[in-house]
Amino acid sequence: MTRGVRITIYVLLLGASALTVVPLLYMVALSLQTEGETLSGEAVLLPESPQWGNYATLFEQAPFGDFILNSLVVAGGITVAHLVFDPLVGYVFAKFDFPLRDTLFYAILATLMIPLFVRMIPLYVMMSNMGWLNSYQALILPFLMDGFGIFLMRQFMQPIPDDLIHAARVDGASEFGIYWRIVLPQAKPAMAVLGLFTFVFQWNEFLWPLVATTTEDMRTIPVGLTLFNQEHFTLWHLTAAGSVLMFVPTALILIFSQRYFVRGIALTGLK
Amino acid sequence: MAVQLPGRFARRRPRTLRGRQIRTAYLFLTPALIFFAVFYYMPIADIVNTSLHTGPQADEFNGLGNYERAFDDPAARNSFTITLFFALGTTLGAIVFGLGLALLVNRPLRGRTAFRLALLVPYLTSVAVVGLLWRNILHPHLGILNRLLEELGLPTQQWLNTNPLATITVVTVWQIAGYTMILFLAGLQGIPEVYYEAAYVDGASTAQRFWRITLPLLTPTTLFVTVMSVITGLQAFGQAYIITNGGPANSSDLIVFHIFNVAFDSRDFGYSSALSVLLLIVIMVFTALQLRAGRRREVQY
Repeated sequence: MTRGVRITIYVLLLGASALTVVPLLYMVALSLQTEGETLSGEAVLLPESPQWGNYATLFEQAPFGDFILNSLVVAGGITVAHLVFDPLVGYVFAKFDFPLRDTLFYAILATLMIPLFVRMIPLYVMMSNMGWLNSYQALILPFLMDGFGIFLMRQFMQPIPDDLIHAARVDGASEFGIYWRIVLPQAKPAMAVLGLFTFVFQWNEFLWPLVATTTEDMRTIPVGLTLFNQEHFTLWHLTAAGSVLMFVPTALILIFSQRYFVRGIALTGLK
Repeated sequence: MAVQLPGRFARRRPRTLRGRQIRTAYLFLTPALIFFAVFYYMPIADIVNTSLHTGPQADEFNGLGNYERAFDDPAARNSFTITLFFALGTTLGAIVFGLGLALLVNRPLRGRTAFRLALLVPYLTSVAVVGLLWRNILHPHLGILNRLLEELGLPTQQWLNTNPLATITVVTVWQIAGYTMILFLAGLQGIPEVYYEAAYVDGASTAQRFWRITLPLLTPTTLFVTVMSVITGLQAFGQAYIITNGGPANSSDLIVFHIFNVAFDSRDFGYSSALSVLLLIVIMVFTALQLRAGRRREVQY
């Protein structure tokens, strides 16, 4: 690489990174302005007197504590469920021989072709009939596991030597003991990727929590924030403060496990 | 007896072992089978059934009436058309920028991990945050963009009024290009170095190496990115709900946003179900076409 090429690449990359990062920094700046400043068109990246109190005001103006709790329960619950079910089901398809195995596997894999918008109306009616609208059940149950996580786990468990499992069987280990003590520990790296991705995407999920919740106190952060913005469209400083809070867990995960993310996308994206 | 015994054991042991395997497999699978039946296959059957009904309770049989209505409904046609433009636009943008950025961060540079991370951040941000942020940035009076343009002596914009569909397309590309960059990066790293060395020895130029080696050998990645982005683009919702509210004058009324309103505002579950089934068919046809086109172009190496 010549020096000119190297400099050109740096300039391009710095420009592109600025395009992605500066708007997010602007969001932080907005969250520290007074209402007057956000409405004056005097938008700045470095507010003269940062209004940290905006973050407290946010909790007074909207049940933001509820939003956070709901998001944690829903995204956390779904993540735990995925980590319980996806490896178990993946293991069965990777290592067991039983009638209808391939049929069932493809039936589960085919659900990847069924997008949320197709399930949205029937699930809404179902939850409404059960009297479960606006509840954690409605927000969590439809997402307990998915074909993608099961596929990922199956791929990851196939290379585990059959002899290892057979040896444990001969030694009299129970089937669940084999899964729990021999198979699962080997799947930890894949489970880390699965858990992180599931959490971040459920944390960000917008459409279903919007459909399934009817009162403010059951909303997750993305829904609560958006409807807050529609109701108080002049309170941009508070909307921005909420956006920053919403982004904190993602930022923490990114900083502490960035390698998982970059590798995870490469691993999971190209099957 | 002495001869039969081992034979009997040899026959019985595998049979019990297999029985245990089958029992265990189904025991472990039961929750999953119930889950996928209740939360995926029943909804599919349900939505097809509902799409054949009409009325406020969606309980009057209507045959294909909802589908006929969809084909004659200018609002539905408008939504399908602009969603198609949106999906193609975001796909094109995601490929061009994703591949471009992947080629840049694939170089041995200091700080390339930081660059990759910075470029990936928007993809991991909720569409709610992205939507609200850009609505503010692009706001003609409040947003920082017009202030910036003014200071640079450039004409100010009101793109959300003048070009809403193009604007949400660009915002979406902004959000997903980092993701396609990572996919292309994995694809690039899978291309064996020897091809480039051979091309170098033969005196191929940088452009020739890109068009003759990189791009053809990236076909599987490009195909995957295309299929994924088109599917995602056809299902976009938050952009319309949050940034434009489908307007002005329905010019950014993305189809899932349209379906959402027909279902939950107009409470017409029959018609909205029919529109959902139609969109699912469109998605499947597009996916099948792309996979066929892609297979023909695949390069073996």
